Amino acid sequence: MSREKFTANSFSATLKSKYPVTQSGVQGNILTLTVDTGTYATLATYLKEQGFTRCLTVSAIDWLDDNEFEVYYLVHHLKNNIYTKVATRIPRKKPEIPSLATVWDTAALHEREVWELFGITAVGNPMLKPLFLEDWTGKPPLRKDFNWRDYVQKEYYKAKEG
Amino acid sequence: MSRILKAAKSLLGLALSKPMTFNFPPDAPLTERHRGRQLYKPDLCKGCKICSMVCPNNAIEMVQGEKSETNKTGLQPQIDFRKCCFCGLCVDNCPTEALTFTMYPFLLTMKPETLIYTPEMLAVPPELAHPEPPKIKSTVAWARSRSIWIVNYMTGCCFIEAVPWVASSFDMERFGLVAVGSPRHADALIVGGYVTPKTLKRIIRIYSLMPQPKWVIALGNCPMTGGTYWDSYNTIKNIGKYIPVDIWIAGCPPRPEPIGVAVVHAIQAIQGGYTGKPEKTSTDKGKMRVPRYPLLAAKPKEGQVDMVFGSQHSASGNFNVSLTLDGETVVHAEANPGYLHRGFEKLMEYRTWVQNIMLVPRICVLDGASYELAYSGVVEKLAGIKVPRRGQYLRVIQAELARIQSHQMNLGFGGAATGFDTMVRIIWGDRDHVLLLLEELTGARVYNIFNTIGGVRRDIQPDFPEKAGKLISYLRKRLHVYDDLLFHNKTFIDRTRDLGIVSPDMAIANDVTGPNLRATGIDFDVRTATPYLAYKDIGVQVPTATQGDAYHRYLCRRREIEESLNIIERALDKLPRGPVAETKTPEGRKITWRMKIPEGQALYFIEGGRGELCFHAISTGENTPYRVKVRGPTFGTILSQFPKLLRGVKMADVPVIYWSLDQCPADHDR
Ligand code: SF4
Ligand code: SF4
Ligand code: SF4
Repeated sequence: MSREKFTANSFSATLKSKYPVTQSGVQGNILTLTVDTGTYATLATYLKEQGFTRCLTVSAIDWLDDNEFEVYYLVHHLKNNIYTKVATRIPRKKPEIPSLATVWDTAALHEREVWELFGITAVGNPMLKPLFLEDWTGKPPLRKDFNWRDYVQKEYYKAKEG
Repeated sequence: MSRILKAAKSLLGLALSKPMTFNFPPDAPLTERHRGRQLYKPDLCKGCKICSMVCPNNAIEMVQGEKSETNKTGLQPQIDFRKCCFCGLCVDNCPTEALTFTMYPFLLTMKPETLIYTPEMLAVPPELAHPEPPKIKSTVAWARSRSIWIVNYMTGCCFIEAVPWVASSFDMERFGLVAVGSPRHADALIVGGYVTPKTLKRIIRIYSLMPQPKWVIALGNCPMTGGTYWDSYNTIKNIGKYIPVDIWIAGCPPRPEPIGVAVVHAIQAIQGGYTGKPEKTSTDKGKMRVPRYPLLAAKPKEGQVDMVFGSQHSASGNFNVSLTLDGETVVHAEANPGYLHRGFEKLMEYRTWVQNIMLVPRICVLDGASYELAYSGVVEKLAGIKVPRRGQYLRVIQAELARIQSHQMNLGFGGAATGFDTMVRIIWGDRDHVLLLLEELTGARVYNIFNTIGGVRRDIQPDFPEKAGKLISYLRKRLHVYDDLLFHNKTFIDRTRDLGIVSPDMAIANDVTGPNLRATGIDFDVRTATPYLAYKDIGVQVPTATQGDAYHRYLCRRREIEESLNIIERALDKLPRGPVAETKTPEGRKITWRMKIPEGQALYFIEGGRGELCFHAISTGENTPYRVKVRGPTFGTILSQFPKLLRGVKMADVPVIYWSLDQCPADHDR
């Protein structure tokens, strides 16, 4: 396990020489990468080995016009104080992503949230069940095509007594 | 022995000192800067409709009045106080000063429709004096002899302003009011703010368990109209549909004073024979029935029992953890959050970048200022706007005051969880003084909405440093009282030492942050690791401990209060001159409430009261965000670490561990 000192810039160069990175950027101590879905999980294992032990979040963005979801995770290297965000794009039709639950403990919970709010399945995650919502009947609410105005009208403003 | 003597001395000192309780009805007007009911000056109004366009809550409707030389369209604003959250966007954006704030906070009623103020009503300056109930002397004395017991259920964020009534500052016990855990013993239910469907089911259940006669008081705009969350996919818009409500108090949150007035009115009504509205519940065709408990995934084994801790428990907050007990010992625990999920990330996509500033502090009621700060920071980063130095300093002062009150809140809960109520009263009473100073600085006690894109909304008043100095020296003295009563107190030590130990590895694996992380010996604080604002100039000494138990988590917070006082003092000493906010973007466009933000993504980290808070904003070049991800500090701590800590502990220690982690369900639920 290598835990030597490095900066966001030097680490970015190392990563690019090892993994197929489609896009990358460095801003201060924040490194952002875009990779293909195949690299998404293998890179996670590597990052953990390099000392990125804190997983801050796993989340998603719905790019409705491109018909894609962007799924990303944000991790932190405590000793070197570097944040790394790794994103990948998946088709909206097949919203599946490999789970990172075995790499970082908290990733499992964040994936549960993403599953509930975006309807993206983290394959291999053992705890996919509702987290925040109870008896939810609508679409996953954070999807851009969830018609929230209609939903709110129907469920709350026009809710019948009885 | 000496410890006991010391504690006794402190208590004696307290008993002999000036009473900490504010008079009620209050004798002085509220803080001068309090944003209360608006005043409208028709002769200045241009009828431009800007106020109604800018309002994020649709509280302003333009009504047709007479056309005149100045007002060519004849349109005049009508404000619906069932919806207005006193954010001040209308006042800030009104081009003519036709709308201004007054200090009037008393908006309460038994008929919500009366809270719609027409332009004519708005034009009449409010009577600032406290609305005295008739024959106050004898009645209050009479009322005091009675007692109303209130169900202890902290539903939403309005509850934060009911809390001072528990503290020494407002002290509800002088009216005979007591908070009680069991609905079967209670007379009154306070619906403290927004209600999600998940919470509503419990409220209906609690309401039906209460004996008759029973009264319901609804705090805030959310239970009336949905308030700030009028378009949220997960909050109820009118609780009156489901249970009968007797008194409605408008505000977001209402100040403690109107809550007091409402209670006095209620007492009088009750004395006069009012027994509440007829009992009635609606479950919306069964959709709002409580699902069957237990909620555990695994079935308990022979000899074990299920136990539900929260969401309505005196020490749970609106959060639930399902436990399996073997005797008194927890063998399995599962967190069940979501009672406060309002879908912030969705709401933010439909408000402009600037309107969102009034929304974000509501994510975490205990520490809203940090959210304002982090959100403004991420937008400024995206737009490349630099905050002037004076603005940065004022933001630091606001953030540190907010940190102090948040930690005080937590120490109070620490006392409550160990059965030491004196501590709750004392610390929360002190917290009120911090809130008043925050109001002095920003215009509101809880949701400051002090920030704007580019800096802060207003400069300090000339007497602010003096007032702050007084508070700092007062709190420094008080810290020793906290030490005597809590940290040197044998009972407290016995209950918290070596309990709920988090090792550094566990903390990292479960994404524990803030004072909880630093209590394990890891010296990580965003203020020093990646300094933002003026923290580098001002300097921060971060206290740490190595034991990682409940006691040291509390102790770290206590020391942080001390350091925050130092930071404020240094910041005030060094406070640079100059503007407090940038008014133009780097491209030279004016910063307005519907400005567009250049395309891109940005991440911004700050250290909130509970730890590392991160905002991730994604812009497609529009005047609303494409997406904002909020990564709050308690998500990992409470949902991942907390249940693991419970295995093997005694039931009575569950609340102690829970509060030592300084939870905020509103933060992880969003
Ligand atoms: S203060 Fe804010 S919520 Fe109230 S009317 Fe003005 S803009 Fe609307
Ligand atoms: S109150 Fe101000 S913002 Fe509203 S219509 Fe009149 S001039 Fe315009
Ligand atoms: S948003 Fe405002 S009105 Fe609604 S619960 Fe919170 S403080 Fe109360």
